[in-house]
Amino acid sequence: MRIRSRAAQWVIAFALLALVTGALLPFRSHLGGAHVTLALLLVVLAVSAWGGRLLGMSVALAAFLIFDWLFLPPFNTLLVRNPLDWLVLVVFLITSLVAAQLLYRARAERAAVERAEASREADRMKDSLVASLSHDLRTPLTTIKALAHELQSVGDERTFIIEEQADRLNRIVNDLLDAARLDQGNLPLDVQVNAADDLLGAVVQHVAGRPDRHRLIVSLNDPASLSLGRFDFVHSLRIMANLVDNALKYSPVDAQVEVSAGVENGMLVLRVADRGPGISADEKERVFTPFYRSAKRTDSGGSAGLGLSISRGLAEAQLGTLISVDRKGGGTTFELRLPAVETDAIG
Amino acid sequence: MAKPTALVIDDEDQIRRVVRRALADDFSHVSEAGTGVAGIDAAASEKPDVIVLDLGLPDANGIDVCRELRKWSAAAILVLSARHDDNEKIALLDAGADDYVTKPFNTLELKARVRALLRRVSTSGSSTGTIIKCGELSMDLSARTLTLGGELLHLTPTEWELVRVLMINSGKTMTHRQLFSAVWPAKSAGDAQQYLRVHVANVRRKIEANPIEPQYIFTEPGVGYRFASCE
Repeated sequence: MRIRSRAAQWVIAFALLALVTGALLPFRSHLGGAHVTLALLLVVLAVSAWGGRLLGMSVALAAFLIFDWLFLPPFNTLLVRNPLDWLVLVVFLITSLVAAQLLYRARAERAAVERAEASREADRMKDSLVASLSHDLRTPLTTIKALAHELQSVGDERTFIIEEQADRLNRIVNDLLDAARLDQGNLPLDVQVNAADDLLGAVVQHVAGRPDRHRLIVSLNDPASLSLGRFDFVHSLRIMANLVDNALKYSPVDAQVEVSAGVENGMLVLRVADRGPGISADEKERVFTPFYRSAKRTDSGGSAGLGLSISRGLAEAQLGTLISVDRKGGGTTFELRLPAVETDAIG
Repeated sequence: MAKPTALVIDDEDQIRRVVRRALADDFSHVSEAGTGVAGIDAAASEKPDVIVLDLGLPDANGIDVCRELRKWSAAAILVLSARHDDNEKIALLDAGADDYVTKPFNTLELKARVRALLRRVSTSGSSTGTIIKCGELSMDLSARTLTLGGELLHLTPTEWELVRVLMINSGKTMTHRQLFSAVWPAKSAGDAQQYLRVHVANVRRKIEANPIEPQYIFTEPGVGYRFASCE
């Protein structure tokens, strides 16, 4: 039963109290204190369980007064003759107040559990929606890509464009899905001790097979020793791939993009340096906001404008930072810093 | 060896057709199944050498299909995954799949992965002795030595185990968990395991000409490592 109005709840609660009082009243001279207190306590408990703390406490107080006034001799006065009746009265008051409080707390806890359950349910729904969305979007993309590839053997150059555009759509889908997960704050993290070698290798792998792969120069600051960090490999690769894609896209076609890694002051620092148009001082931070587009970049570049904001979100999720700084001689350097691990610590 | 056969289990007509055409060069026959149940039946009756399994089947969970097939089939299983996260790929590899490609995949990549698995299937039956060769690398399993271009490499016991497990499974993606349990005896799990990736980096520095552009040990981000498929 759900009574919407608070006022209605109060009326019903006090009516119930009056009803029980009225039923007991004709027999008050035959009833012991226990009979009355237990009957009234029952009303207090019922009302507390149903009406909440304030109502429960008010009814408890009213029941206390009714008990004293109508049922403790001398009747119809608040005076108490027998000193032992004082004890009964005080115990009754404390019991009903504590019971009202406990019931209120139990209700509140149950409500919290229900809310948490509902929010978990919503998360599960979102996850399965994201999963089915990614499946539903990727399946046709797979077909388009594969058919374009088959047609390449016929020698039509346009099929390369179809394949390229399918890849571009796939990147946008990935960005949107990642942004949704970052936004929900339920991004799975798998932080492990990883080597910079491995991450740089995956960056090289990322551009393998692309016509502009030779523009990417990848190096270790200290090739003689292992540079290690504690980070999520997949997320860090996603950041680096975003930065490298941007750098290749916005630099002159004959300019190289330099990627480097090394440990500096307890952090593993990964840099992606381009010879692009650079980023003005007032845009340095703004480029990391979602859907931000620089005025200097007139074409959309084939992305949803989410790459850098996702990258920063991913960096911070694994206790790292991502900033952009001016590059000496023109262009921009993006710096990704991740917690480093001492090589000596490895047994 | 006669040309092998393959089975494609996928609910999408178009994908089945695309995969079938991609495999046509290397296989004498490629059959198709549109559901998990039909796929398991076809695998039992046709005994294909390679099974290409899509995860997004309407009637069955890909992991269950994989596990069921693995109970009695020796076929190499390549999974097509459209999932956004890697956990499902890992679960599939742990359930017995040999490798995966992510949709939208590149046809050349699909062909290369299938060929690598095919080589595994055709060499695992015949005993090739105790020497495994791959490019400049030569591993002598009985003498427990690894040479690169004829020169003996010095490996720690952990590194040796790691390379051994990767090489005997060449062409197959090994999950981090599979590597843990193969390289470290069950009891000593824990501390040592968290440095798996560091051991791989150290091994690469010994066997690769350039550890940043590896030719032997490939990284499958978030999933594990794969040793190059050796001729």
